[in-house]
Amino acid sequence: MRKLTLLTASALLATSLSYGAAYQLNLQGLRQLAMGGTGTATPWDVSTLFYNPAGLSLINGIQAYGSAQFIMPSTGYAQSTYTTNTQSQTFTSFNVYLGGPLQKDSKVGLGIGVYTPFGDGLTWDNNWLGRYVIQKIYLQTIFIQPTVSYKLNDYISAGIGFIYATGNVVLKQALPVQMADGTDAHGELKGGGNGTGFNAGIHVRASDQWQFGVTYRSRVNLKLNGGNATFTVPQSLTTQFPNTTFNSRLPLPAVFSVGIGYKPSAKWSFQADVNFTQWSAFDSLNFDYAQTTSALSNTHLPFKYKNTVTYRLGASYQVNSKIGLMAGGAWDPTPVTDGFVSPVLPDADRIVLTGGVTYMPCNRVTILAAVEYVTTKKMDNRSYDYANFSGTYQTKAITPAIGICYHF
Amino acid sequence: MKKIYSIGLLALMFASCKPNLSTTAPGKGTADFSVYVAVGNSLTAGYADNSLYRAGQQNSYPLRLSEQFRLVGGGNFVQPLLPSTAGFPYPRLVLGLSTSCNGSVSLGPVFSFDSSSVGNGANISSQGPFNNVGVPGIRCVDYLQQGYGYVNPYASRFYSNPIGETPLDEALKLPATFYTVWLGANDVLGYATGGGVGNPTPFVPRPEDITPTGLFQTIYDSVINALFAHGAKGVVVNIPDVTAIPFFTTVPHNALVLRQGQADSLNAGYAHAGIFFLNFTKGPNNFVIADPTATYGFRQMYDDELVLLTIPQDSIICYGWGSQVPIPSKYILTRTEIANVRSATSAYNNIIQDAASKHNLGYVDINNYLRTISTGIQYNGVKYNAQFVTGGAFSLDGVHLTPRGYALVANYIISVINGKYGSTVPSVDVNKYQGVQFP
Repeated sequence: MRKLTLLTASALLATSLSYGAAYQLNLQGLRQLAMGGTGTATPWDVSTLFYNPAGLSLINGIQAYGSAQFIMPSTGYAQSTYTTNTQSQTFTSFNVYLGGPLQKDSKVGLGIGVYTPFGDGLTWDNNWLGRYVIQKIYLQTIFIQPTVSYKLNDYISAGIGFIYATGNVVLKQALPVQMADGTDAHGELKGGGNGTGFNAGIHVRASDQWQFGVTYRSRVNLKLNGGNATFTVPQSLTTQFPNTTFNSRLPLPAVFSVGIGYKPSAKWSFQADVNFTQWSAFDSLNFDYAQTTSALSNTHLPFKYKNTVTYRLGASYQVNSKIGLMAGGAWDPTPVTDGFVSPVLPDADRIVLTGGVTYMPCNRVTILAAVEYVTTKKMDNRSYDYANFSGTYQTKAITPAIGICYHF
Repeated sequence: MKKIYSIGLLALMFASCKPNLSTTAPGKGTADFSVYVAVGNSLTAGYADNSLYRAGQQNSYPLRLSEQFRLVGGGNFVQPLLPSTAGFPYPRLVLGLSTSCNGSVSLGPVFSFDSSSVGNGANISSQGPFNNVGVPGIRCVDYLQQGYGYVNPYASRFYSNPIGETPLDEALKLPATFYTVWLGANDVLGYATGGGVGNPTPFVPRPEDITPTGLFQTIYDSVINALFAHGAKGVVVNIPDVTAIPFFTTVPHNALVLRQGQADSLNAGYAHAGIFFLNFTKGPNNFVIADPTATYGFRQMYDDELVLLTIPQDSIICYGWGSQVPIPSKYILTRTEIANVRSATSAYNNIIQDAASKHNLGYVDINNYLRTISTGIQYNGVKYNAQFVTGGAFSLDGVHLTPRGYALVANYIISVINGKYGSTVPSVDVNKYQGVQFP
């Protein structure tokens, strides 16, 4: 005869452990950052390795380059009479590049770059309104890109780099089960993984005034294997929520860019870029747990990102042989579609304003400083249908950055 | 000086990087929430986990409403709180492990060990008058009954004159400007939770009977007339279909799962006694129940009949209930009894709806809302349904709600109020409160 256990706990919760969308960072070179993120058409320095690998054979000798960016984002959220902001945090991204033409007048440029093209971090208050959707997310990626560039003739150069990507993710959310003392259970996913891809570009120097560039950075699938899923639940439910491992795959989307550079005089430079980002690769995220139970099933999260087109403009003014000034801006529309606006990644159309300065204290050294200010439009009453969670969001971020370039 | 200035500028720059979202100020519309009085039964009192206890009272939906009303000019809200933490008069249920007669251990409702009950029975009417006059067990038909406070222990602990006054007198103690009235469920619930052994058509209804519709109408209308005679506004709440709550839907009608050998011996046993209308097969079988209207006084359950949550499970597991011994009818709602419950519920709800339109009050169709909870809703990332224990909305007695369930009800009432009175009372943050707590 069947035992009538009242708590069969079947389908206790459809765990909605959600995962953050990839967050593209456009901080791979400080001149470019200061000029609204443009740089596909103009090989300013060895950081062109990211912006257009073709430019590597065009820069002035071997260079070593390092920079650090201090990203300080804050997202505000409101629902009815409730408002909150994410915790103040500073995320540091960095870039290191080394390379250039093998020797003076060489047609071949070689180099290697290490940079962080995608990252995201948000920490909401542990007891905030959306804690059952997300409490904390952290994503970091590092791309390592050995690159070769070849100058076909005085006009055209091409370049390609192989990408080895590593990354790690952390995300945490409350589970809708209360302990005997009234606190929430919670779950945390922590994992790392890697993937590969490439970054290729063509550069055209049409004249002393006009330059053009086209690049394609491929999609990279970050394979997260054997990540740890940890659940803090009431004693009586530990068998329903076993600590286990998970496999997942995070697509980092392909980006196709075209750029144009115009240099009307020795002092002034202008450039414009358009990025086509294939965010549709980010259709859903799936977490497959090594051990599932009636309460813990594999997670399938729809994201339904759409492709985006970003417009960027920048200007540079060389004050004298030592000091240069830069400014720029960008319009960066969000890949998030209606009904999928979540606090996991409360993204929205972004307005980007940037500025920067370069200073050459001596012939071989350039010190670079830049700052980026990003604000989103206020999004009223957007919904995340998957969790029936809606609210008004706004995100702002300021990113000061500093770097140095050494010319061998 | 310049340094300080530039630091200040820097601080300003970083401050501008924090979004500052403002919210719109709520409004009261045409309603006046300054004196709010909640009329009702156990659901209004904050009864939960088969008991009235202080923490439950502090999670009542009227208290949640009053907190939101305070944002739009609402006043103080006084509840007849129990002074001690233990349940009154009996302990409340908590989730715990219990061992059944066959030695298996399972997680389920057990009595709380909290015995702190000092002063719980004392009359606290000096703290009144109270804004929440919800009384567990009270029926609509009791509302004009003088001396009711004397017979109901929950009423006698806070009524100012239990013997001399009626429940209506108590409800009229404050000059209310706004009422919520959720009355009438017990006029049918007592019959349902009694397994339908009461009288569905009594002349004078006892608690286990169904109140006749005509009597219900007379008293309900009198109560509404009296409450709203002086221009107060408010809402009336209808009666949920009690057969859709976990108390009736948790134990399946076919939980008698047999192996082939068990089925064979049951069939043989009954055949030996000359009974051939029962048929047992391998797998799930419908329970054998007592039914005085059946030819032999017992039969197997129909698929659409309900087993009550209070059925002693040990009797099923170890003592042959539902197979060799018919389950007593007080643990079963038969087809006829369900029909009686449903027809009374819908008759009452018609009366409540008529009263709402006659007095131009908001009509809260909680019956419909609880049905949507039964099928499952999601609120800020948390799923709620009518599953016992795991559904999150119903407390461990399977009838009353969890603090979160009561908050959901408060939000639904707020939505009706806002629709009726053009107010913009903000909704309650449901997940701020407790669901079912697990050991």
